[in-house]
Amino acid sequence: MSNVVMGYKQSTFPKRLAAIAGIALLIFIILPFVVGSFQLSLVSKLLLFGTLAVSLDLVWGFTGILSFAHGIFFTLGGYAVAYYLKLNLSAANNTYGGELPDFMVWNGLEVLPWFIAPLKYFPIAFLAMIGVPALFAFITGSFIFRSKVSGVYITIITLALSSALTTFFISQQAYTGGTNGITDVSKLSFFGTDIPPVGLYFIILAYTVFVLALSWWLTQSNFGLILRSINENENRIAFLGYDVAQYKIFIWTLSAALAGVAGGLFVPLNRFISPVYLAVAFGTQVVIWVAIGGRGTIVGPLAAAILLGQVQNSAEKVTQDWNLIVGVLLLVVVLFIPNGLMSLVPKQLSLSNLSKPKPLPGAAATPVVPEGMTAEAKKETVQRSS
Amino acid sequence: MTDAMTATAPTAATTTEKSVLSVKDLNVEFSGFKALKGVNLEVYDGEIVTIIGPNGAGKSTLLDAIVSKSPVASGKVMYQGKNITNKNPYEIARMGIGRKFQNPNVYNELTVFDNILLALKGAHGIFASMRAKLTKAKKGKIYDVLERTGLLDQAFEEVSSLSHGQKQWVEIAMVLAQDPSVVLLDEPTAGMTTEETYATGEIIKSIAKGQSIVVIEHDMEFVKQIAERIVVLHQGEVLAEGSVQEVQSNPKVIEVYLGREAIDAAT
Repeated sequence: MSNVVMGYKQSTFPKRLAAIAGIALLIFIILPFVVGSFQLSLVSKLLLFGTLAVSLDLVWGFTGILSFAHGIFFTLGGYAVAYYLKLNLSAANNTYGGELPDFMVWNGLEVLPWFIAPLKYFPIAFLAMIGVPALFAFITGSFIFRSKVSGVYITIITLALSSALTTFFISQQAYTGGTNGITDVSKLSFFGTDIPPVGLYFIILAYTVFVLALSWWLTQSNFGLILRSINENENRIAFLGYDVAQYKIFIWTLSAALAGVAGGLFVPLNRFISPVYLAVAFGTQVVIWVAIGGRGTIVGPLAAAILLGQVQNSAEKVTQDWNLIVGVLLLVVVLFIPNGLMSLVPKQLSLSNLSKPKPLPGAAATPVVPEGMTAEAKKETVQRSS
Repeated sequence: MTDAMTATAPTAATTTEKSVLSVKDLNVEFSGFKALKGVNLEVYDGEIVTIIGPNGAGKSTLLDAIVSKSPVASGKVMYQGKNITNKNPYEIARMGIGRKFQNPNVYNELTVFDNILLALKGAHGIFASMRAKLTKAKKGKIYDVLERTGLLDQAFEEVSSLSHGQKQWVEIAMVLAQDPSVVLLDEPTAGMTTEETYATGEIIKSIAKGQSIVVIEHDMEFVKQIAERIVVLHQGEVLAEGSVQEVQSNPKVIEVYLGREAIDAAT
């Protein structure tokens, strides 16, 4: 037994990867001092879209649940913060004075609804930003994953959820601002001082690093191994004593919370939130980032969101039909690089391969299939019926 | 029919032993089709029960019903005195019943080592799995299981690169790693060469020293190698039960299942 070389998982971050991550982080730290305010705001936004994509990667890339509903969690977190910022507009900045937001006045509301009023306070809004998407995910997840629904049907449910919630938010105009959403919110401030764009950028960068680190830590543990096993064959793992539904509900809820915070940070940056981000189109966009970046790679979806965002920004300057360029890019990736951009990166540099063991030195090559086995195997398939 | 009645009653010798798994009057239906009709089965501590029967006899369905893969219409499955009928599969697994499926049901994209690690008995909760460390004890257990199934050299190969027979062993190793009291093996030698089949038989015999085993098999040579008690299923019912000789000389069994081939083999 002593001749067995342990090559299992690396408990610490490998040095080469740490170096690359360090350089990447350094670039992002220097960035705000070399680019203009437009690029800074764009990169901030793309980092948030990227973390949203990473949160979907945990659910889709690792666990195999394809969801078009991740925009929902992002948007719910966004509304929590939007209410907070809207309710904290100083009376002078509010269109009609007083504390009632403009869209409520337009829609004939006279009193601030009791379920929105507490969001004026930062701790409550902060908790709501995480808690509302998480709770929504926990409830929907409990229904979906405890029932016998699986595979493509779950995806269809997420599409339906996305459409239903979009319609609901648009219809509740007095409370949600309808199609326009919540606009003209105040800036995020810290003890009376507005946080400048650079400050907001660093908060967003810190959050991005946090999401990446958490995702890496989760997926390289036994927990990650179990998620991947659920992805490959969820029926088998139940017979090994794992409560598959519990794992799915957990990762679904956690992912929603991470997406919610991204949405929450998006509002002070974007200065508005609307049902656009609830809609299937945005949910599809998130799926595309993960697909192009590479499922189950953590860093891939983030990179794809940033790259595609930059491509889109450049394309917009050249032509009105920038969607065409993004579409062609998507086709090229799906057709020629089906495992995403990260599959082009050498394996030893990929986050997703960290938990895979190194082969044993001198391990046997591909075993020779014994003669006659194919015949036996054929016989076996015939006998399967019992 | 009278043969079936007498065969299901445990013999005097076995009643003194402790029953670990007990299937009582089990009925399983698939949209009207009765796959199992009032099946009774007792599995005693440390014994090997071999289930044989023609295709469609309900052999796999019986194992499926025990681990809740197929819903039980009526009847009871008792394990160590507890009713486990239609319980969640993961609860049944945690209680100590391990199952190997007919076609190797293993994780092809993972290494052999990771497959065994997944199966390892222990805390299977979410937070426990996040903090779980690969301790010396765990490694020792994994290597022990791999050694018993002859897979040490393949420990860090992806399962997809293994031969069919080796995949069967990976799944047997997974079941062993679960440390179950009852091991249910569905055609563990399917697709194996004669040598591999023999080696599997020896593995199974070595397991049976501490655990009870229920095996479904077609290969009569293999059955003779391992069998202590044989249960013959036919059209969802227990047709006969007993030793290899008893079953082979049972006229009903010869008629419906073994046929001329078995008579030739027996003489």
